[in-house]
Amino acid sequence: MIRTDVVIIGGGATGCGIARDLALRGVHHYLIEKGDFANGATGACHGLLHSGARYAVNDPEAARECISENAILRKIARKCVEVTGGLFVRLPGDSKKYRDTFLKSCEEVGISTEVLSASRALDLVPDLNPAIEEAVTVPDCSIDPFRLCMLNAFTSRHKGGGILIHHKVVDVIREKGRCVGIRVEDCSSSHIKEIRAKIIINASGAWGDAVARMGGSEVPMTLSKGSLIISNHRLTNMVINRLRPPSDGDIIVPNEAVCLAGTTSITVDDPDAVEVDPREVDIVAAQAEQMIPRFGATRIIRAYTGVRPLLKAESSDSRSISRGYRIIDHKNGMYSIMGGKLSTYRLMAEKTVDAVLGELGIKAHCRTAEIPLEGQEELSGYPLSKRLKNIDNIVCECELVDRDHVERVVNSLGTQYIGDIQHRTRLGMGPCQGGFCTYRALGIMQETGRMSPDDSIQTLRQFLQRRFRGIRPALWGDQLREEQLVESIYLGILNMGLKR
Amino acid sequence: MSVYEYDAVIIGGGASGLTASLYLSSRGYKTALISKGDPVCCLSTGGIDVLNGSDSPFDLLAHLPEDHPYSLVGREALIEALSFFMEIMGHAGLPYVGEPGKNRQIITPIGTTKSTGLVPCTMADADLAEDGHLHVVSFKGIKDFYPSYITSRIKNSAFSVFDAKVATTLGIAARFEDDAFLDAFISWLHDLEIPHDRVALPAVLGIRDPVSVMEKISSATGRQVFEIPTLPPSIPGLRLFRALKRLLQAKGGHLYWGREVSSFESQAGRIEAVTLSTTGRPSRVEGKVFILSTGSFVSGGLFASRDWIRETVFGLPVFVPGERKDWFNTDFFAAGHAIEKAGIEVDGTFRPKLTKMDNLFACGSILAHSEILKYQCGHGLAISTGMAAAKMCEGMLS
Repeated sequence: MIRTDVVIIGGGATGCGIARDLALRGVHHYLIEKGDFANGATGACHGLLHSGARYAVNDPEAARECISENAILRKIARKCVEVTGGLFVRLPGDSKKYRDTFLKSCEEVGISTEVLSASRALDLVPDLNPAIEEAVTVPDCSIDPFRLCMLNAFTSRHKGGGILIHHKVVDVIREKGRCVGIRVEDCSSSHIKEIRAKIIINASGAWGDAVARMGGSEVPMTLSKGSLIISNHRLTNMVINRLRPPSDGDIIVPNEAVCLAGTTSITVDDPDAVEVDPREVDIVAAQAEQMIPRFGATRIIRAYTGVRPLLKAESSDSRSISRGYRIIDHKNGMYSIMGGKLSTYRLMAEKTVDAVLGELGIKAHCRTAEIPLEGQEELSGYPLSKRLKNIDNIVCECELVDRDHVERVVNSLGTQYIGDIQHRTRLGMGPCQGGFCTYRALGIMQETGRMSPDDSIQTLRQFLQRRFRGIRPALWGDQLREEQLVESIYLGILNMGLKR
Repeated sequence: MSVYEYDAVIIGGGASGLTASLYLSSRGYKTALISKGDPVCCLSTGGIDVLNGSDSPFDLLAHLPEDHPYSLVGREALIEALSFFMEIMGHAGLPYVGEPGKNRQIITPIGTTKSTGLVPCTMADADLAEDGHLHVVSFKGIKDFYPSYITSRIKNSAFSVFDAKVATTLGIAARFEDDAFLDAFISWLHDLEIPHDRVALPAVLGIRDPVSVMEKISSATGRQVFEIPTLPPSIPGLRLFRALKRLLQAKGGHLYWGREVSSFESQAGRIEAVTLSTTGRPSRVEGKVFILSTGSFVSGGLFASRDWIRETVFGLPVFVPGERKDWFNTDFFAAGHAIEKAGIEVDGTFRPKLTKMDNLFACGSILAHSEILKYQCGHGLAISTGMAAAKMCEGMLS
């Protein structure tokens, strides 16, 4: 049995942020995550560090939080944030009146804007639709949610916190009506561990209600599915938003070598049963194409979907629900942190820890807004020069990941999960989406003795099935062509298909 | 514009186009083969999959859907085509083994087996039906071959790793062309004193003449040697392609390699000529008959847009298997994604349906309803439909 002060359930940005905050305030804790870091909405968002402008008109409170956190994260998370700047572009037919309201609202909440003529906007982003009426600059940025989680967790681990990824909470232990601990299952060995804690923090996003129910309470939520697509090219160096009220397909975010475009917003019941519908791909692609025409001719390498855990509201339109957050004290030793968004993860963590430490009677100041994330300097960002150094040994040709790098990650993590390698090296993130390199990475993993050949093949099968879920909704053109080649490898040469 | 005249013009240089060209040029017809590049054949195992799912491919022929191209070819013509193939590959110095009516099992790089029809003789002993006693040789850092997948599944097996100083299959195969390298390899293998009767290697035993490389290793070590096909780029696929291409050149077939058809001319229900774009002046290639063998999506014979599918040379009508959302199953591993049915529908004479072109024929994986991955019939279908289309041309030319 493990004893600690605080257990955090959920390894998304909020959970990892809470872990770091506790670590910096000297409180012992454990973080439990059933998948890898950023497994839920954190890893399935568009990687936007909001300026808040998107919310300025309808949700000024959320907008204020965004712009203030935006300034903080730029300082403390330099290696996760790319200061791209953003544009809101107004296309012919988009309301000029909305633009006036937008500018006024931004001013009221303290978001700096500048109105640009179409030609000045085209100077900044040459691939913009030349027909735009005008554009407004905002301080949007691109952010790497996965790296953000890992760095927050790094501090926690460094200061003695316990981090258990690929561990699933199976039970909340209650004594006299109070939650006093949890039982977790190791997903690879099915081994059960018991962790006793004074406080349990439920930061499990879309799974929040299910976790709260294990503790004998509930959290009312609306789950909203949002689907995004990834283009093969970085078509813009700035975040591009559509200057109109929030709707489907109104944003394009550059991220490393690609662009993410989204999103849709569809209310769902079960966070574990969401799929991208090919029609969502068409909607998002068509909208993105209106802002950047070349998007239509660019290969879509994947589509993915995440579930926004929104606070329950009367409204049936999930877009009009506040992006604000709420901390719920269940008065039984469990706290739930619900709603919110990636951009305000640090603030949510701070307020949650404040509430929890109040109950524990610990007085310690939050310092996460001042101290830069630890371990950033070791993150090289993996520049091209480094990737090309070992060119003879490239395992992933799309993202130039060499064999030594894969071996280093495998050995340092001792991992059984291919996702752990992908997120740390970018292996399999390019156009073939791991169609060639995952077989190699698994071959290397089993050669290092980390997994048996049979397990490795089983993992390959699971990977291919999961990969196909992301690729299938966007199969046409060159991506379909590549997919047919990948099929000929696995279903033909390796004969892994099910017998007919 | 330069103008060239031929009896037969074949567009698409994969296994089907090469077979059709070889057949026609061996019959004395003046033949041109146009290809925009090296074919998908180079990505294959090099084995000839005829029709998998039973010990005998012929047992399954009768159960195929009526619109499957094999149903148009027929059993006798399939046997004839495969025999023709075996005969010419013998002349090409890359003999194939096997019986047209019998499937055999070869080892895959993940240690499972795969059924196939004919195999190059370097894979002749790759049959797992025999007792294990296998020694696998791998190469240091090789990306696409992990011997423990194989040795973990086979009793009495082990592996050793040779350092060829390169990590790609193509790079290692190129090194086996060098006698000094081969000698060093043989002496290393000899010194291992392996207890097993058989030695398996990834398919890297040279590109030009793998048979003599294999025989040298075999006679120096006293062990049976065979190759295991690897992931693309595949050396046995490349050898097959190069052998067919060499044969065609030897028969006097004219090759337009690295050239794409930019336009065509037709008159009174006949294709008169195609124009090839070049950096210099374009060429006009005239023919009495034309064969389309440009393949499916991977090789670019078909192109799928968001909601339609186009044939890329003549703009022929394409059979489209429903809406895009139905093109693929949700299960990656389920046999037969609907998209595999896409292609050109032909009549019993291998002329595309719904086009009024009397002298245009189609063959190979561009044919609709071929479902190559579902039935595992890629090269068998390419060779037999290539020959069938060529015979239809012959009938028209004579």
